[in-house]
Amino acid sequence: MATAPVAVDAGRAGSADRLSLLGRLRPGGRWLAILLIGGTFGFPLYWTVTMAFKPEDEWNPPGKVFWWPHTWTVSNFTDILGIRGATSVFFTGRSQSALTPVEHSLIAAGFGTLLALIVGIFAAYGIARFRAGGRVLPFQILQLRMFPPIAIIIPLLFMWVYLSLYDTLAGLVILYGAVTFPFVVWLLRSFFQEVPREISEAAIVDGCTHWGAFFKAVLPQVRGGLAATALFVFILNWSDFLIALVMTQDHAQTAPVYLQALQSGASGQEYGKQAALAMILIMPPAIFGLAIQRYLVRGLTFGAIKR
Amino acid sequence: MEARTTEVPVRQAPQRRLPDLGGRSESVVARLLIAPGQILMFFLVAFPAAVAIYIGFTEWTPTSGKDWYQAYHYWHWFSGYWEALSSGSVWHSIWLTALITIVAVGVEFALGFLLALLFLKEFRGRGLLTLFFLLPMMVVPAVSGFIFFMLFQVDGPVNQGLTAIVGHNVVIHWLDDPSLAKWSVMTVDIWQWTPLMFLILLSGLVALPEDQMNQARILGASFWHQLRYLIVPMLKPIIVIALIIRGIETFKLFDSAFLLTGGGPGDATSTVSVYLYRQVIINARWGYASAVAIIILILVSAAGAFAVRPIEQAQEETFEELVGTEGAHVDGPRLEEAIEAEATV
Repeated sequence: MATAPVAVDAGRAGSADRLSLLGRLRPGGRWLAILLIGGTFGFPLYWTVTMAFKPEDEWNPPGKVFWWPHTWTVSNFTDILGIRGATSVFFTGRSQSALTPVEHSLIAAGFGTLLALIVGIFAAYGIARFRAGGRVLPFQILQLRMFPPIAIIIPLLFMWVYLSLYDTLAGLVILYGAVTFPFVVWLLRSFFQEVPREISEAAIVDGCTHWGAFFKAVLPQVRGGLAATALFVFILNWSDFLIALVMTQDHAQTAPVYLQALQSGASGQEYGKQAALAMILIMPPAIFGLAIQRYLVRGLTFGAIKR
Repeated sequence: MEARTTEVPVRQAPQRRLPDLGGRSESVVARLLIAPGQILMFFLVAFPAAVAIYIGFTEWTPTSGKDWYQAYHYWHWFSGYWEALSSGSVWHSIWLTALITIVAVGVEFALGFLLALLFLKEFRGRGLLTLFFLLPMMVVPAVSGFIFFMLFQVDGPVNQGLTAIVGHNVVIHWLDDPSLAKWSVMTVDIWQWTPLMFLILLSGLVALPEDQMNQARILGASFWHQLRYLIVPMLKPIIVIALIIRGIETFKLFDSAFLLTGGGPGDATSTVSVYLYRQVIINARWGYASAVAIIILILVSAAGAFAVRPIEQAQEETFEELVGTEGAHVDGPRLEEAIEAEATV
């Protein structure tokens, strides 16, 4: 609220600031609108974060609602991660704590990202620099993104069972790499296109091979883009639910699937513990996402909007 | 041979080809570069497609005792396709998904545009607030399904909050009422993806040529006329891309819907993806599911042929080219139109 007077000043400044589109809207109205929308959009996250710190009797007592934790506790986190050994009674038939699924998520998402990057870097450079694959390959890659993943996964499931890759982390890594490879291509292609051709040409004239020019001259130019791509693809892999749901059972279960198993479990809703797991799941993408905020749009629009 | 080697660099110079110093010609290098990607694509497209077409002609299930390549024992030609096309539940899931897509993307666009307009002008805390509004986008979709599952419980915070506002006890079955559940599913998608619309549209708005806007304002164009004659036409390419991309992604909706309602009650929220999942995992009807998947792939490909073009085009362009702030083609006419429209009011 304290900022409202400042906003008034900015509004009156007129010509100095950007186009005053909502010129008719008084600054107070703008703040009211922003607060209203912001409150609505923020509430689900507020509820989850506070839920993670509520003791059991405040989760969802009948006919009563705790808008904030009256007693703060971290036992939800220690319980779900199995730190306090309370997990054996936590979920009947599922003695496992959430720690293992979280580890699985980390491994699968991490190595899946690595695989997508290794394959994608070369393809992106080939397309950007040499127009390899003509117009066909980029088109194919784009169209692939339109198919509901489940339609593609069904036949892969036969193959995975046949190859004994079903319910293994290796199987998950290959799938993650394959599914996010297109994003690497689009993102990196747009970064490669921003590198002047002359750089690689100069390197070749100076005696580098094509490969040498690529590794020594071009790749260092897109270091930032490469890092952003890696984080972006990691977020995508970390966020996967469907592939892991279909392709794993017990040995390679990832955290989102574990969350779903808890939710559909027979022991009733343990909101606090689930919210704690939800918070753990939200953290990495939130941090990485804010770090690469500049490139989020570029990534999520398949490199179409480069902002 | 001698003659050719001297000729090649000369002829190719205008195309900016280089003398080959790596011992390989460029086209070989290019092919090598994309080869791993193409193998991956083949593995992800051609193989599953072939298997799905094959299995789709059979009534094979994993419980039949035969391996998938022996599915020809259960060959039944187009029966699976016929069953899918004549079954109400397939069409129900397609219509439902289309409805969810249209409504959710529409609301996301409207809200995102409003937010972007509100954020256009510099104000204190703008950067931080922008980050705040991006948060829902970062949430794992399955988790957002869980979050709204908590919120939409009958005695959950949404109903309790409404009770506090209205004054008497509000009992809305957000997730158990078949006619209401799909709106709850849309809500999750809207919550999660309005931020993306906001971010895309804001980046477009910020890039608009400032002097033109100022000119229009000084000449007295009202906000609505600026919006109609200047902003929307100039942002059109971006708006189209944003709508297409959100449309594609929402049509694939699974994660949040699955955690929120599991496709239920009944099949009230069983989107295309949820329907396929149920056929495969719960009913174990893999042959039939493959047939349905093929039908969906054909439908999506047909729609995709139109959707891909604008995206592809934009991928080739820089941001400035896309918004049209680089070319001279946004100069006079639109501004004049806006002012004329103002004058007639």
